[in-house]
Amino acid sequence: MTSKRDSLMGRTAFCFPGQLQERPTLKEDHPLRRDSHFKEWVERASHQTPFDLPDFSYKGEEIGFNLKLQISTYLLSMVHFYRLRSEGWVPDVVTEHSMGIYAALAASEAITFEEGLWITESIGRILEREGASSGGAMASIVGLPFGEVEKINQDLNGFHLSIANYNGSKHFVLSGEEEGIEKAIDLALSKKAISAARLTFNIGLHSPRLSVLSGEIQALLKEIEIRSPKFPILNHWTIRPLMQEEIKDFLSLEIGQPVYWDRCVEKLIQEGINQFIEVGHGATLTKLIRWINRDVEAFSAGDRL
Amino acid sequence: MALAMSIISERKRRSMAEVNGDLIEKLKQLIITRLKLADMTPEMIETDAPLFGEGLGLDSIDALELVLGLEKEFGTVIPDAEVGKKVFHSVRTMAQYVLDQKEGF
Repeated sequence: MTSKRDSLMGRTAFCFPGQLQERPTLKEDHPLRRDSHFKEWVERASHQTPFDLPDFSYKGEEIGFNLKLQISTYLLSMVHFYRLRSEGWVPDVVTEHSMGIYAALAASEAITFEEGLWITESIGRILEREGASSGGAMASIVGLPFGEVEKINQDLNGFHLSIANYNGSKHFVLSGEEEGIEKAIDLALSKKAISAARLTFNIGLHSPRLSVLSGEIQALLKEIEIRSPKFPILNHWTIRPLMQEEIKDFLSLEIGQPVYWDRCVEKLIQEGINQFIEVGHGATLTKLIRWINRDVEAFSAGDRL
Repeated sequence: MALAMSIISERKRRSMAEVNGDLIEKLKQLIITRLKLADMTPEMIETDAPLFGEGLGLDSIDALELVLGLEKEFGTVIPDAEVGKKVFHSVRTMAQYVLDQKEGF
């Protein structure tokens, strides 16, 4: 990877992605497995969690697929963050999509690596329990403008879904009851969407139904002391920098609020950011940024090993 | 007469193959440009390899870019997801669709 020292680029945003949608491929010959940061931070995580990232398994207990993905996403983002940092990259600002907030906070040193891992796993367990008891689902709709997606929501006869992610002018994620999601997928395809498909979640994240979990998350967070973030963190909900004193409230409320990723990117471009680095294993945010504005540079640290 | 017909037919076939070759090259370039695959060259994209999943590893966000690219560059419309799945199977299926659409006019 080119180091920041050799770069003539302008202002840089580190972008922390939300939950991976499939098991990360980390076979023996994967270049990340040879990376010293990967070895160091996976080893450090092993002192706190029985989750084995390379093996994608949780020793001693069977946990849900989504929780495994959430822990994987956090750990991989942190490994890539430490890789970037050791190569001299320093962000002017940090931003995040959905559960990317946990790694964004740890990277900004508002919390430690271990605290971020603990928050990821603890909130993940609450979501897993809620999903098992109340159900829910999510679907991504690609290729339809906002008006059409809104109309789908109005035509569901008895179901009311929430728009959970505003990812771009033709990319939205719906969230809510499973039956409603299935119906919305059919409607979207009949309206000529390029793609309409279920995401892996078994819960309706970023919908108001999840606001019932806020108190429980607040109680968890009492265990943690939040410090002032070292880098400004532009959050996915209010599109403002998160202040130290509002971080706990944000974490307990954001799961019931939408992700306005398109506004995040637009705001950063207005502020003069012209280089976006996705700090994670995949390139989902990079592709979304490409759709929002083709003129800025965007790449994923995970693609440059 | 039969020989003449055969010569003409062969000429047409070669001409069509050249058109297809050009089109395939253009489509590979379109994929690289639209998807901003800066490290790739057209030679690195196999004409018959799957574009999604195992092959180039494209996803639905990439499909959205390619739909727009085909429309802008070739005036070709992908009407829905079902057609999209077939068209975006490989570069060759994309080329075939572009040709079919042109013949349809």
